[in-house]
Amino acid sequence: MRGFTHYISGLAAATFFAALVGDLRLGILIPVIAAASAYFPDFVDFKFGKFLARRDYEIDPAPWDEKKHYAPKLVKVSELSEENRYQFFAIEGTVEDILVRGSGKVSYKVLREDGSEETVTEEYNSIVFTLNDGTGKITVEAFGDDYEFFEEEFGKIEEGKEILVFGYVDVDEDGLKLVVSDAPHPQGIADTIARAIEEAYREGERIVKIHNIRLPGDVYRRFLVHLDPPKREVRVEMGPIVTPGGVAIGGDVPEYRKYGVAKVSVPFIKTYPKPTRIDSFSGPEIAFRRAEFRGKTVVKDRFLPWHHGFSHSLTMGMIIGLVVFALFKLIGYEHATELALASMIGQWLHVFEDQLGFMGSNLLPPITKDVVPGFKLGESGSGLTNFSTAWLMIAFMIWNFNRFTDPRPIPMSDAKLLLLLAWPSIVGFAIAIVRSFRLRREISELMDYYTNLEAFEEMEEVGGI
Amino acid sequence: MLPLSDLLIWSLAGVLFGALISWIPGFHIFNIMALLVAVFGVGELMPVQAFPFFAIGAIVAYAYVSAISSVYFSVADESAVFLLFPTQRYLLLGRGHEAVLLYLIGAVAGTLFLVIGALFLFPRILPPIYQATSPYITYFLVAIVVFMFMSEWPKEGDRGRTPAERLWLAWRQIFGGILVFFLSGLLGFIVMNTNLLPTTSAYTRLTPMFIGFFGMSWVILNILSNPPMLEQVPDDRVESSLYNTLKATFGGALGGTIAAVYPIITGGMGALIAGHMTSQRGDDAFIISQGVNRVIYYVGAFTLLFLPQLRLTRGAAAWLVSSIYTPKSYAEYLAAIGAILLSAGISFLFTYYLSRFLAKSFNVVHIKKLSYVVAVTLVVISYLLTGPMGLAVLFVSTAIGLMAAAFNTRRSYCLGGLILPVLISMTGHTGYFMHLLGLG
Repeated sequence: MRGFTHYISGLAAATFFAALVGDLRLGILIPVIAAASAYFPDFVDFKFGKFLARRDYEIDPAPWDEKKHYAPKLVKVSELSEENRYQFFAIEGTVEDILVRGSGKVSYKVLREDGSEETVTEEYNSIVFTLNDGTGKITVEAFGDDYEFFEEEFGKIEEGKEILVFGYVDVDEDGLKLVVSDAPHPQGIADTIARAIEEAYREGERIVKIHNIRLPGDVYRRFLVHLDPPKREVRVEMGPIVTPGGVAIGGDVPEYRKYGVAKVSVPFIKTYPKPTRIDSFSGPEIAFRRAEFRGKTVVKDRFLPWHHGFSHSLTMGMIIGLVVFALFKLIGYEHATELALASMIGQWLHVFEDQLGFMGSNLLPPITKDVVPGFKLGESGSGLTNFSTAWLMIAFMIWNFNRFTDPRPIPMSDAKLLLLLAWPSIVGFAIAIVRSFRLRREISELMDYYTNLEAFEEMEEVGGI
Repeated sequence: MLPLSDLLIWSLAGVLFGALISWIPGFHIFNIMALLVAVFGVGELMPVQAFPFFAIGAIVAYAYVSAISSVYFSVADESAVFLLFPTQRYLLLGRGHEAVLLYLIGAVAGTLFLVIGALFLFPRILPPIYQATSPYITYFLVAIVVFMFMSEWPKEGDRGRTPAERLWLAWRQIFGGILVFFLSGLLGFIVMNTNLLPTTSAYTRLTPMFIGFFGMSWVILNILSNPPMLEQVPDDRVESSLYNTLKATFGGALGGTIAAVYPIITGGMGALIAGHMTSQRGDDAFIISQGVNRVIYYVGAFTLLFLPQLRLTRGAAAWLVSSIYTPKSYAEYLAAIGAILLSAGISFLFTYYLSRFLAKSFNVVHIKKLSYVVAVTLVVISYLLTGPMGLAVLFVSTAIGLMAAAFNTRRSYCLGGLILPVLISMTGHTGYFMHLLGLG
C-alpha cells in the first residue's frame, strides 16, 4: 500500500481510544505519534535502509554528468576503460582520421513478444573515424539508423571537424570504440545480472543495484529486465523515452541495439511474474539468493531486499509500543498507555495492509526468518485497494469522533453510521477480492511457465545443473 | 437579492475581469480582487449584493484560465505544485496546448462534480460531517505537515559512492525542506502577529508573502533559466484514456473537496492526500486531476459561503467578500450555482481559444521578456497593497521560494508561512513565541 494509506491508518487507530480523542478535542496533538508510528516502517526503509544497504553489483548503464545530474556524462577518452563497455557517454573532440565510409548489410536477431527470435537483414551506411580529445584517441563508429541521425546532426564528417559525439562504449580486437547511439547497449545489464545469479548460486547471495537512465529535460530511457527461467536467460530490452509520469514520448531505439541477452548456467526462478521496469525516480535493487525449490537448489530473486524486513514485523510494532510508552510516561503524558497501544496497532495495521499485497513481510522475527508471502489482493500501487483502505480509515475516524462526542453531532446509531460511511470501502474490497482470483490464476499460470521443471530436468540431463 | 438579470451581468463582468488577468504569470485572482477593493471600493461602482456574484465569475475564470500561465509561462500558485512539472515537460515537447486541453477536461469534470454535488449532496452531507470533524481540524493539519516531512521522496542519494555519502545526499534535500518550512513559518508569524505591515492592509497582509513564495520566485526562475521557446502543436488532440480520466477526476475531486472544506488545508495539500489515496499515476492523469482539484478548491470553497446550512468562509476571496456582504437566502445559493455553470462555459471557451492562439504564436514574445514585465507588476501590486514594508516581505519570501528550488525540495513547504503561525495560534502558543522572538 502507499505511504498515506498506512499513515491514515495510524491516524484512525488513535481515534479508537476515547482518552486520545478527548485530548485531540482539547488541542493536545500528541496522538499524531500513532500515525508517525504507522508510517515508520516505510520511513526507515526508504530514508535509511535504501541508502545503507549493501550492493554487490552496481549497474549504471548511463552515468550522470556530475553537474547536470543527467546522462550522458561528458568524459575524456583517457577516463574510459574496458569496464565501461556498453555504458552511455559523450565525448567532445576533433575528427582526426576517417578510416571507413561504407555501406553493406547487417543481420541481427530480433525478439518477438512471444519470446521467439527472428533474424533481420538490412542495408546500412556507416562511417568509422578516430576522435582525438587531447587526452587520447578513440575509434567512433556510426551505422544504420544511427548513421542517418549522425549525418543529419553534423553534416558531412571531415577531418579536423570539432564534434560532440554520444554513444555506448564497446570493445573489439583493436581496443575501445564509441558506437554512436542515443542509449546504452542493454547487453551490459544482462551480462552483469547473469553473473550475479551465477555467483549467488555458488556463494549464497548477490545484491544488484540497477540505476535508471535520466536524460536532459527530466525524461528517462525506460528499460525492462526480464528473467526467463525455462530458457535460462536474462533478457534486457531498451525501451522508449518516458516522462516521470510514465508517458512514452518516442525515442525508440533501433532493433539492432534494443535487446541484450545473457545465458545463465545455473537454475533460477522468478517470484514475481512480470518483467522489472526501470524508468523514472530510482532504479531497483534485486537480491539473488540461493534457495531450495521443489527439492532442487535454485536462485530466487527478491525485489528491494532492504524493504519489508524487520521494520515491517509485528515484533517492531511491539518495540514501537514499548518505546512510545516509556518516552511519554517519562514526560508525564497522562494517556501514555493508550498512545502506546495506538502506535503499536498503527504499525501492525501497516504490516497487515502490506501483507494484502505480493511482497509479504517477515512477520515475527526472530521466530520467523524470512518473509511470509502476501495475500495477493492487489499490487501495492493499486488505486482500488489504496482508496478502499484509506476511505475505511476516514470512515472509522468520523465514526469514532461521533461516538466519543456528547451530544453526538450525527444523531444516528453506531452500526448505521458506520455502514453509511464505509460502503465505498466495502464495495472496493469486494471488487478487489473478485479481481484477485483472476490475478492469482494468471500468476499461477505464469509461475508454471517460469518454474518449468521439465526445462530444469532437461538441462540436468545435459549437465546443466 | 438583486434581480437575476443584474446578478447575471455582474457574474459576466467577473468572468471578464478574471479572464483578462488570470493568464498573466504570477497574478492571483485573490490579490487582484483585494487590489480592486482597496483602490475602487465596493458599493459605489458595484452594489454590495452583486459582489459575491462578481467574485464567483472572477474565481471560476481564474480556476480555468490560470492553466495558461501554468502551462505556457511556468508560473502557478501552490495548488498547482504538481501540475507544474508535467506541464513543463509537455511544453518542452511542443504539446502545451494538449496540456491545456487535459486541464480543461479536468476543469469541466470538476465543475460538473461541483454543481451536482452542490445541488444534491453537499447541503445534506457536508454539515453533519463538518460538525463531527471540525473540532479536530488541528489534528488533521498537524498530521498533514508531519506526513509532508516524513514522505519527502529523496531525489538524490542513489549514486553516492559510499552509504554515508548516499545518506547525506538524500537527507540534504530533506533538511532543506525543513529549513524552508520553518523560515517560511517564521516570516508568516512575524507578518501575522506584528505591525510590520500597515493596519490598512488587514485583508492583504499575506499577499506580498505569497506573491514572493509562489509568484515572484518562479518569475525569477523563468528569467534565470531562460527557457527555449519551442514550436507548439495547436492540434486538438489528447492522449489519455477514459479510465485515467475517471480516476483522475475522482482523485482531484477528493483532494479539492478536502481542501475546500477544511481551513488552511490548501489545494496542493489536498492533492497530495488524494494522490496517495487513489494512487495516481501518469502525467495525463496528474494534469486532469489538477483541473478538477483547482476548480473545486477555488470555486467550491467560495461556494460554501452561499451554502445556507453551513455558510463557511473559506479562502481569501470569501473573507474579502464576507466583510462586505454575505449571501443569506437559498435563492442566492441556487443563483450562485447557475453563475458557476455560466462562468465555466465562458471561461472554457476563453481558455481554449487563448491556448490555441498562444500555441500558434508561442515564440513571438520570449517568456524572459514577459517575466521582466510581470516581476515589475508584482512589485507594484505589493507596494500598492502593503507599502514599503510589503516590499521587504516580498524580497524575503522570494528568497525563501528560491531556496525551495535550490534545495530541489517541495515548493509547498513555503506554506509554512501560513500553517506554522496558524498552528501556533490554534494551540495557544502565540504569546510564548512572541516572547521567544523578542517581539512582545
